[in-house]
Amino acid sequence: MSFGAMAAWQALALLAVAAAAAAAIFLVKVRPPRVQVPSLLLWRRVFDRARELTWWERVRRAVSLAATVLIALALALAVTRPGPGRGPASSGRSLIVLDSSWSMAARTSSGETRWQRAVRQARSLAASASSDVALATTADGLVEGPTSDTALIETAIDRLRPSGGDAAAWPRVPGADRVYFITDGAVARALDDGVVVQSVFEPAGNAAIVAFGARPSLGGSGTGEVYVQVANYAATSRAVRLLVSRGQTVLSDQRADMAAGEAVSAIVPLSATGSARLVARIETTDDALAEDNEAVAWIDGADAVNVSVVSENGAALASLLQQDPSLNVVFVKPAEYNAATGGIVIFDRWLPPTAPTQPALCIAPPASTWLGQPGTEEHGARWVSSGTHPVIAGVDPLTVDVKRVRGYSGPELATLAASERGTALVSVVDHPDRRVVVWSFSPGDSNLSSAPAFPVLLGNTIEWLARPSYGVLRHSGPVELPASTARVVSPDGLSVPVVKTGDRSVVRLSSPGLYLVEAGGSRGVIGVNVGDPDVSNLSRSSLQNTTTAQVAAGGAGWPYWMWAVVLAFVLVATEWWTWQRRVTV
Amino acid sequence: MSLRFEDDFLKKLEYLHVVSKRAFAGQSRADRLAPKRGRGLEFADHRGYSPGDDFRHIDWKAYKRLGRLLLRLFDEEQDLPIYLFVDCSRSMREADKFDQARRIAAALCYIGLAHLDRVTILPFDTELGDETQPGRGKGRIFRVFELLERMETEGATDLREVFTAFASRTRQQGLAVVISDFLDPHGFEPGLKLVSSMGHDIFVVHVSAGSDSDPRALGEVRFVDAETGELQDVDVTPALARAYGEAWKAHAEELEKFCGRYHLGYVRADAAAPFDEIILQTFRKGRFLA
Repeated sequence: MSFGAMAAWQALALLAVAAAAAAAIFLVKVRPPRVQVPSLLLWRRVFDRARELTWWERVRRAVSLAATVLIALALALAVTRPGPGRGPASSGRSLIVLDSSWSMAARTSSGETRWQRAVRQARSLAASASSDVALATTADGLVEGPTSDTALIETAIDRLRPSGGDAAAWPRVPGADRVYFITDGAVARALDDGVVVQSVFEPAGNAAIVAFGARPSLGGSGTGEVYVQVANYAATSRAVRLLVSRGQTVLSDQRADMAAGEAVSAIVPLSATGSARLVARIETTDDALAEDNEAVAWIDGADAVNVSVVSENGAALASLLQQDPSLNVVFVKPAEYNAATGGIVIFDRWLPPTAPTQPALCIAPPASTWLGQPGTEEHGARWVSSGTHPVIAGVDPLTVDVKRVRGYSGPELATLAASERGTALVSVVDHPDRRVVVWSFSPGDSNLSSAPAFPVLLGNTIEWLARPSYGVLRHSGPVELPASTARVVSPDGLSVPVVKTGDRSVVRLSSPGLYLVEAGGSRGVIGVNVGDPDVSNLSRSSLQNTTTAQVAAGGAGWPYWMWAVVLAFVLVATEWWTWQRRVTV
Repeated sequence: MSLRFEDDFLKKLEYLHVVSKRAFAGQSRADRLAPKRGRGLEFADHRGYSPGDDFRHIDWKAYKRLGRLLLRLFDEEQDLPIYLFVDCSRSMREADKFDQARRIAAALCYIGLAHLDRVTILPFDTELGDETQPGRGKGRIFRVFELLERMETEGATDLREVFTAFASRTRQQGLAVVISDFLDPHGFEPGLKLVSSMGHDIFVVHVSAGSDSDPRALGEVRFVDAETGELQDVDVTPALARAYGEAWKAHAEELEKFCGRYHLGYVRADAAAPFDEIILQTFRKGRFLA
């Protein structure tokens, strides 16, 4: 057995002292108040009168003593909070892990959220720990500690908020031999043996947007459509209003009476023009979780991109680029090149003397001080795919026939595709200040302009340079982005800290909405939605199937130590009542 | 405490007189019929003359008619010895019992003085205190008031010891009024039997208070005997309180039955009851006053 509030020897000592003190207080003769009577003559007659005691009267005093000791023990148990442990409590580190999934933001019947309950429990655990405490969340990992400074833990707890997180993530602290996991069990996790689970789960009714996005139209209109799915995870039916808007334009405003457990899907057609920003919102009453009432999506390619083609003869490119209505293409001669041009630039066999400030595609570039040098010429180069970079994703190398290529190399260039001999065919500069894609061969030196790979490669290149797609996440938390990520702006306009880790950048997306990602002049968008059947169905908990962990602090029911307090009060009230009424004599 | 009575009440008292079941010989002439024939004004009987008789009482008219010397006899009207025993034990201190006892004693004393009876006030507790005879005549009542006002409660009750001491003094038989709560640890029977056996006409005034029958406290208390200072820890429950109330009731009934058995007058005077009512109604109903 272990004790949640103190070491075992302390808890046992407290229990023994409490029981002994209660018995001693019960047995000690308390001096009663003095009352003067005219004579004790008649009282003695009453006492001397033989009076047969009932069974209850005979055992009353023993029962009262037992009740007194039981009251003391119940209160002591409420303080020490014993539980099934791994043998005697050690003085090692304690790790308190808070489940920071969005379901923890759900309101309970008492008005507070599951998160507030969890925070209160975490404070209690931290305050009662006998040694170092570490604090972690499922979203952030280790937040504070290990430390014996309770104030640090308290301060860290104050900073924490539900912020989603990966269900597979689990923080670990070396030397932690007591791990408490405070959760509602909405997200099922495989826990280690010995993890003490403290539940804050309480069933709650909730309606949520569980699916939302844009996709090409299946009807053949060629424009696209928005799909949205709303679920009512409540025990009762409810009226739900669904609003779908694109930018400032409301695309759909529907109302539906949803039965308990019902899910409703809606398809909204999209026009070819308009904002790339899509928002779906539901309005309903008595909803436990607000965060999943709104969902966002981003229409890839909806934003127009300015493309400047700097070429003596851009006919091959023109025939393709002008097919894309989302591109505003301008062709200029190298002599007319203006470095202040916005959008992206395509340099066709020509480079400016200084590096451009905007993302650039360099086709068969000449030698340059800011980019690199062409290498030896190779004839009949055979394309070999060398990775999954977005620029070459979907490009079929077998359809590309490169007659002549001069491998281009530079200090910042990373090769994405090379020939069998190792000559770089496609390489990139992925730097926070600029993005550059280098095709070492020109369409005229290959069959690229007529190969199926050409539009794919060009489209990939433009997308990566101008508006890379990061998609929509079903959960918040840490996200890996390219190392060239310069800035991430949150939905409320604040910069999100970007952490560089090797060839990657990591950002923490802690709230739902659309995030703007800037990398080397490109501007991409990441959408974060909370709505998810795992998170939004607040009526169920994976803790019901937990067998290895102890469910210690239920949200709907009280923790057992509170029942101990209630028992103590009931016993005290019963004792007081029987004493007042003198029902025993 | 002031024992002074209102003039109207004193007027009412003057119309009352203490009733004795028997006639006792007094010492002085008064307005109460004595058992012997004497020199009163009321003709009582004739008897034959004997040498030595006062020839002034020979009924000459009867001699002339009958030719025999007959002596005229007259009723003797003397005073009545009234002994007022006032319980001054500490148990009387509770709930104004002592004040009520003194008021009753003062009223009875006034009635006796108004009828020229010879009143003797005897305070007692464990033993008999100094007796006081205020004299004769209602003008002496103020002396009685002062005497009663000076009395203080002290000691325990021991009726047997008190009446033994009373019996040891030479006494003229008369009316003995015992004003007490009769909470004698040794029992009231021996003392009352003793004083009854002395030939006195006994009248018992049982002074009681509500607190005597009601413990007034629930829970664990330490009772202190007002007379002896003895301590007793008691867990007073409603049932125990009821049992005590029944015990007190039995005690009072026992005293009343005892008085009936030994032909003693009995009146219960509640300390909380209006004094006028006790004197003018209760005592008259008890045939102690007429």
